[in-house]
Amino acid sequence: MPTPTYDVLIVGSGHSGGMAAATLTALGVRCLMLNAGPVADLERDRVNKSAHDLPYRGFGKPGLHPHIFQANEYNANTWVDEAEVPYTHPTEAPYNWVRVRLVGGRSLFWARLSYRLSDFEFRAADHDGFGENWPIRHADLAPFYSRVEAQFKVVGRKEGWPQFPDGNFVESEGAFGSGQPDSECQKRITAAATKMGIGVSRLRAAMGDGALASSVNLSLPQAVASGKLDILPNAVVRQITTDPNTGRANGAIFLDRHTRQERRAKARVVVLAAGTLESTRLLLLSNLANSSGALGHYLTDQQYGCTVVASMPEARDGKANPKLIGGGLFVPRFRNLRKDEKRNFIRGYALPISTGSSADPKYFPEYGEALQKKLASYAGSCVSGSIYGDVLPRYENHVRLNTNQVDAWGIPTLHVDARYGDNERNLCKDAADTMEELYKAAGLEVIVKSEQVNPPGYSIHELGTCRMGDDPKKSVLNKWNQSHDVKNLFVVDGSSFATAGWQNPTLTILALSMRASEYLAAEFNKGNL
Amino acid sequence: MPIQRRRFVQAVAAASAAPALLAQPPAPIVPLKISTIAPDQASEPVLKFFTAVQFATLRHAAALLQPAYNNLPGAIEAEAPEFLDFLLAVSPPTRQTLYSNGLNHLAGEAKRLFSKDFAALSAEEADRIFKPLIVPWTFNPPPNPHQHFLTDLRADLRTATTNSAPYAAAAASSSRRGRGRTGAGLYWLPIDPTRR
Ligand SMILES: Cc1cc2nc3c(=O)[nH]c(=O)nc-3n(C[C@H](O)[C@H](O)[C@H](O)COP(=O)(O)OP(=O)(O)OC[C@H]3O[C@@H](n4cnc5c(N)ncnc54)[C@H](O)[C@@H]3O)c2cc1C
Repeated sequence: MPTPTYDVLIVGSGHSGGMAAATLTALGVRCLMLNAGPVADLERDRVNKSAHDLPYRGFGKPGLHPHIFQANEYNANTWVDEAEVPYTHPTEAPYNWVRVRLVGGRSLFWARLSYRLSDFEFRAADHDGFGENWPIRHADLAPFYSRVEAQFKVVGRKEGWPQFPDGNFVESEGAFGSGQPDSECQKRITAAATKMGIGVSRLRAAMGDGALASSVNLSLPQAVASGKLDILPNAVVRQITTDPNTGRANGAIFLDRHTRQERRAKARVVVLAAGTLESTRLLLLSNLANSSGALGHYLTDQQYGCTVVASMPEARDGKANPKLIGGGLFVPRFRNLRKDEKRNFIRGYALPISTGSSADPKYFPEYGEALQKKLASYAGSCVSGSIYGDVLPRYENHVRLNTNQVDAWGIPTLHVDARYGDNERNLCKDAADTMEELYKAAGLEVIVKSEQVNPPGYSIHELGTCRMGDDPKKSVLNKWNQSHDVKNLFVVDGSSFATAGWQNPTLTILALSMRASEYLAAEFNKGNL
Repeated sequence: MPIQRRRFVQAVAAASAAPALLAQPPAPIVPLKISTIAPDQASEPVLKFFTAVQFATLRHAAALLQPAYNNLPGAIEAEAPEFLDFLLAVSPPTRQTLYSNGLNHLAGEAKRLFSKDFAALSAEEADRIFKPLIVPWTFNPPPNPHQHFLTDLRADLRTATTNSAPYAAAAASSSRRGRGRTGAGLYWLPIDPTRR
């Protein structure tokens, strides 16, 4: 049987690859999807267990996932094992790279918080003069955001604020629903924030289907059902191949994950959706799409380290009840919305705040019986806030190939060099001070205030390194997520971001992937690719 | 044995074994009526990592930091020190150093301040050693290694206790809501592991 040549080869099966597959196949394009890992069976591969039945009492095997703060013994088998796919970073600049290679990628585990970028992010350079604008505006992406929000069932409260574009929300009474009456604690914090000129809203999140909003249940099934998608798991791509005469992409070479046999797949167009840094790694390995010299640079993400926790005195000693305390609040960006605002940082941050929780014992100086009594007293009375902070995209924050180190398939690995600067630290301090002021004004007792930044990568929102732009000398992709250099090569994951913004990025990744895929299909059908 | 003879013997052995195997009817599947027990029901851990003095220090610290409370077991009843010995024995060197030096520091302070072993200190005496090591929580661990150690020790003792079998049993037999939070959840099995 001759090897088939597919219309499009998609590398990666997470949110970005899944959306590309669903969009392309719906438009009649025949796709092959290669994914480095296996398919997980959510029923067979998960069992209920008590921590004491696990070999390490829930601590996890020591040293297994040194860079994954989110790892525990329950989910340890789902993350990429660093011994298998290592990476390096300068000793003094740790980087947390959190990866999943199962079919579905990280879409199996994301927290589903979903916010649109606004023109404060798309036109950030116009606003404060730093870096580059995106080549698109919110209006360009808005129709795609709306379709993704409908498909993923995003809930949220409409506000009409320009820095917090409203979405095509579905009605919900659940945890994120808009129909919940505010608790006294929520009202007090909202009133205190209003006095400080800060708008308070609600979390926005994708409900998906049965609390799963993954490519494995929301995009891949329809693509497979179309008969136009073949999924090949356990295919570790090591290179995008090109036609030596035309320079155009014509497929990929991959290794079978188990046998290490090398194989070649052929396609007329290649779409990279391997997750921000893996797509960039593949381009570096293939020596492609880098006439600008920007490939691998402008690595950014969001910072989550800042934490301020308080307690509502009236809710202590067993008095917490749903009328008094409970429910979440969300403060979208409020800093630097005016061009003339003078601060020691540019851009901004959002504050997700939850009320009605119990305190983590580590927040209290007591120990022994005194600690137990304190925990009992504070149970249910706590208010916890952290930040989603913007991180500036700087040229010097970058990844490059490390040819001295290979992964389990003999493929050169990445060296990641990313550091936060004064802007991130000052922004974080401002967030901590603001939360403290807000809590105090709402009559809460502050228990903990940490204004330390986390290591880059910690938020699992790595972005950039293949940024899009109008100028081929400064950017890797054009406004359609298409390589400036290789016209039949697209990158549809978060590596295309020109700025991070404070917003969790996945909704934007999905909308961009849908938009790019529709453009690709139209161009393909016109014979332009 | 010359090669030819060895081959012959092998061939005979194979010939005589093969028909017997083929002739066997498939064995009926009978559920086994064998019950088993957990290791802690019949044995005790052999200490691997801590020295005798370090372990005595750890046990005393554990008793003070995470005591039994409200009919729920504490660190000693949960064998948290023994578990930490096992965990530390297989931990990366930086972690081992943090713990060894941290325990040595507690023992050293006990000698310096009270001329006693840490294990012999009263709760009040131990408190004088603990207090300067307890600092407000921050995202990153405290830069002082002894403060870092005590921060981690408190958290580790708590987790090792609340995630233990005795704690789970005690919490389950209690009907009052919220009395004991125990670790339980959906465990992901190794999924089609890579053969390396
Ligand atoms: C615990 C957690 C919580 C999160 N919460 C949120 C949230 O609330 N909101 C939000 O917006 N985002 C959140 N995220 C981030 C979000 O999950 C990611 O932004 C998103 O899933 C990225 O999708 P992707 O398709 O670009 O990449 P991935 O999901 O990483 O998928 C990439 C796929 O490519 C495959 N691949 C990689 N390399 C190769 C190769 N060489 N060959 C073949 N295949 C390859 C991998 O197998 C993988 O399946 C969270 C992430 C985690 C882990």
